[in-house]
Amino acid sequence: MRRRPSAALALAIAGVVGSTATASARMSADTMSAPPDEMSGIDAEWWAAAAEPYAGTTITGVSESTPPSVYAAETLAAQFEELTGIAVELEATSWDEMRNKALNDMENNTGVYDFIYVEQDIAYADIAAERLTNLSEMYADNTDLQAPGFSWDEFNTFLDNFADADGNYFGVPMEAFIKIYLYRTDLFGDADLQAAFEEQYGYPLAPATTHDQYRDIAEFFTAHGTDNDLELWGTTVQATTSHAASFYEFFESVAPTFGLYDWGINAEENFAATVDNGGAMNGPEAVAALEYWVSLLDFAPPESTSSTWDEVASTFAAGRAAQGLVYGENATWIAADGSRSSVVGNVGVAVPPLADGVLEAAESGEGYVGYYDGGAFAIPAGADDKEATLLWLQFLGLPDVQPEWAAATGRVTENATYDAPAITAIDEEVGGYFTLMQEQAQLFRGAPPFAFHSQVVSTVSPFIWSAILGDSTPQEALDAAAEATEEELTNLGYRT
Amino acid sequence: MRKRSTGWLLLAPSLVLMVLAGLVPFVYVAWTAFHRWNLNAVTRDAVFNGLDNVRRLVHDERVLDATRTTVLFAVYAVGSQLVIGYGLARLLMRRFPGRQLFRTVHTIPLLVAPIAVGATWRILLVPGLGPLPHYLEQWFGWHVDLGTSGTVAFWSLVLVDLWHWTPFVTLSLLAGLSALPVEPFEAARVDGAPAWRILWHITLPMLKPVLIATAFIRLMDALRLVDEAAMLTKGGPGDSTRFLGLQLVRIVFENNDYGYGGTVSLFALYVTLVISWALYTVTTGIKRQRAHGG
Amino acid sequence: MAETLSSAVAGTPNGPQAVPAVAPPRPGAPTVPRVAKPIGRWGWTVVWAVFSVFTLLPVYWLAVVALRRRVDLMGNYTMWPTSLSLENIRAVVTSDTFVRYLSNSVVVASCNAALSTVVAIGAAYALSRFRLPGRDNIFFWLLTNRMAPVAAFLLPVYLLFTRVFTFGDWSLLDTRIGLILLYTVFNVPFAVWMLQGMIDAIPEELDEAAFVDGGGTIRVLWSVILPILKPGLAVTVIFTWIFAWNEFLFASRLTAVEARTIPTALAEYVGVTGTNWGELAALALVTMAPGAVLVGFLQRHIIAGLTAGAVK
Repeated sequence: MRRRPSAALALAIAGVVGSTATASARMSADTMSAPPDEMSGIDAEWWAAAAEPYAGTTITGVSESTPPSVYAAETLAAQFEELTGIAVELEATSWDEMRNKALNDMENNTGVYDFIYVEQDIAYADIAAERLTNLSEMYADNTDLQAPGFSWDEFNTFLDNFADADGNYFGVPMEAFIKIYLYRTDLFGDADLQAAFEEQYGYPLAPATTHDQYRDIAEFFTAHGTDNDLELWGTTVQATTSHAASFYEFFESVAPTFGLYDWGINAEENFAATVDNGGAMNGPEAVAALEYWVSLLDFAPPESTSSTWDEVASTFAAGRAAQGLVYGENATWIAADGSRSSVVGNVGVAVPPLADGVLEAAESGEGYVGYYDGGAFAIPAGADDKEATLLWLQFLGLPDVQPEWAAATGRVTENATYDAPAITAIDEEVGGYFTLMQEQAQLFRGAPPFAFHSQVVSTVSPFIWSAILGDSTPQEALDAAAEATEEELTNLGYRT
Repeated sequence: MRKRSTGWLLLAPSLVLMVLAGLVPFVYVAWTAFHRWNLNAVTRDAVFNGLDNVRRLVHDERVLDATRTTVLFAVYAVGSQLVIGYGLARLLMRRFPGRQLFRTVHTIPLLVAPIAVGATWRILLVPGLGPLPHYLEQWFGWHVDLGTSGTVAFWSLVLVDLWHWTPFVTLSLLAGLSALPVEPFEAARVDGAPAWRILWHITLPMLKPVLIATAFIRLMDALRLVDEAAMLTKGGPGDSTRFLGLQLVRIVFENNDYGYGGTVSLFALYVTLVISWALYTVTTGIKRQRAHGG
Repeated sequence: MAETLSSAVAGTPNGPQAVPAVAPPRPGAPTVPRVAKPIGRWGWTVVWAVFSVFTLLPVYWLAVVALRRRVDLMGNYTMWPTSLSLENIRAVVTSDTFVRYLSNSVVVASCNAALSTVVAIGAAYALSRFRLPGRDNIFFWLLTNRMAPVAAFLLPVYLLFTRVFTFGDWSLLDTRIGLILLYTVFNVPFAVWMLQGMIDAIPEELDEAAFVDGGGTIRVLWSVILPILKPGLAVTVIFTWIFAWNEFLFASRLTAVEARTIPTALAEYVGVTGTNWGELAALALVTMAPGAVLVGFLQRHIIAGLTAGAVK
């Protein structure tokens, strides 16, 4: 999951985020905590026997306090314990804290955690630094621990984010979402508004497929909001001027739609970022993207410059925006949870608007259209109770466990889940999110495999903020950002 | 008569605690300060690099700007707290209806955790969520936006710090004022001295130790401020409220740059020491004066 | 002329007034506060009322938000309570971890306040009365432990907790005692700083007298120093308690499940899926209670100091 605003935000342990978990539960067609015997595909005997040597142990893990993790901590842990006698204690907290604690534990080999959450974008760094246990190997070596029903083949393409060059897997995916284009079906479907829009812009009102269309729509609805004294704007923008979230929305979601991939850093050209050296961070696509994105602020609610993904979700859920790019984990509750969202039933999903040629590039595998978000549970190399933990991770990867989990929290990590009754039943409720994910997730990609990920984010973010604030033009900001990036990469030793 | 050893015995628990939990970590941090140690780098080991980190610090505009902003913040915040706190303490010495109630009400902000303080003011100030920007715009046409105006963000934090910590100053000064003897004031009144003169020549000098002590504590804490700023502005917009404490959080936690983080920590400590030493010298001067019958 | 310090110095709004002559107070005797003229009195009430609005506004808004449903929060600027929904408060108070967090915070803050104050009394007395070599330096060094920003010290302390202070499987990590001991690093210096000034103000003759009577140092502390120090002690205990209660960074890094405290819980509500302002506000409000009880309880001692008059 995305990083939380740093430094002050530890997130709930299981019960405290009860409200979010319970809210998500209202969404699901089935019950949240299905007792083991309702999961017919699970061979309880096998589990009890395999876990016998480890029964009575407690394994400890740390994760970000998102609904999927909370669900795992509450519901799945209880089921697992009943099956195996192994207790699972999951500390759910903010991203920063979780990451730091996990990192400290791994780097110092203090053996505090048996399993940790590894976000997709940080996985590469951990694998390269050999901080994680090779799960493919461990799985292959321990035939008596190979759970029936578990298979690496069940997972969708998101699993590849946790593989090394040789195809060994280092994590079991536990959540995956795509950052998606949300729009208000009630507004888009209003006959009067449709007529007015077509009159003004010359084409029908529909979810945007190009950036110009997106901008027109944003402009239209902002004017509509002003004219009718509504708290309504045309789009959300994740434009916080003090946190990395704006970097992320720009480089992960907006830039790829203009054809700027991998942040414009060219790993094959000695990690160049400037156009002169072979990179693309300050190239024409990047500048076009930044100009476009910053210009959207004119059509966004005032809190946009204070908004991380957190606030963007709240803004859209409060009905303050007609469109927006929203992380998938939020899309589902915004569309269906009445205790937190004012726009239930009025949410549609679509692939984000794209520049010419981007879709073809994505379909051929050369590019991508947006961000594939999520994470896995992994076992630190220095953990104590690895066997017991391997059983836990496999349990989380069982196809039978997926449907309720997905229905409750909106995350899908396995292909079969899309067709499960629980999911197809609620797919319409969430605006068709699951169908879209099933059909188009392969067009999305996670963060590029950079071991220096967080350092570059920290270096470049101020330039993005500067562009948002208008202190520099997009070209200036990107020029400076690219240069600073190259300098930083040289300092770190990646660029020679 | 007074055995020295008794003195050391009384002092021992403090010293032991400080050495174990204070000095040892400090030595560790000081050690890292002279190493290149960044978990994001190609080599993740700690490599001794002499004064390279210091050289980097000297050219690091972000950190130097943060230092200036932090010091300014501390001066404004603590300064205003001292003045207002003193005034309120004096008021509380008087008898007037509701005095007890007000004193109790006044201490309420102290009971709110810094994170909650930051969160509370965020709920008050963030556009879209908070009433203040909305009404200020409606009634006065002021455009108050934390996300785009560094000035608004900075002064909001000063205001928040004031709200949160003035009661501390008030209570401390109240305790101090109440311990002052009455005679000098009697004598001054008999002599017909005007109020301001009494304030300047009698009250403040006698109160100086408590004033300095309170200012000292507030200063140290203001220079280290993290939680409220992290909640309210996250250091923004840009870096305008990214105080030293927040810069350190960024360097150590976001960048995993332990080596440079150690250097900046030492630097922050140095800045605080310099400011504190100045105050402290004044205090010991006063203490010696009083010991000699001042 | 029996006068309060404040009235003697500042006079009333109408300037110093002549008052009926009364014999000057003897040193150490309680002084009776002069009652100011009616208009003046109510003037101060007004001043305080205004200031109290400023003080209470955020707390009031916190209450309004706590009572609002989540779905109603954005764009809802009115400061009147638009709903009296108890769902936030209920969610907070009935959560499994609420009682644990609250009790952890109470235990850690109280034990640490007590420990820090007791340790500090000894230290302050030692620094004040004994001519220990280098005492000024010791005093200043004590204070420097409070000065540095916390972030970089988290790693060494983490290592101390997990590598050094361990007994077999047990370590200081995720324990309340760990926090209690750690917090003394900034609370003891603070307490020493506050108390030493006050002990300095107590004339040594009083100590001598008790010594001559055949008391040891402890007896002197107990029977002479502590009674006089009461208001100062009360203030010190209140503030050390508050500092320990509010500490966030160390608490969040050095605890996992068992020893979590309220500030770490507060940060919980800021999340991926939208910040839960309502529950955050509810928790913040609910957890003001222990502090309020403590302050209310100790205020009496501060008052006692105020009306008892000066030492000299």
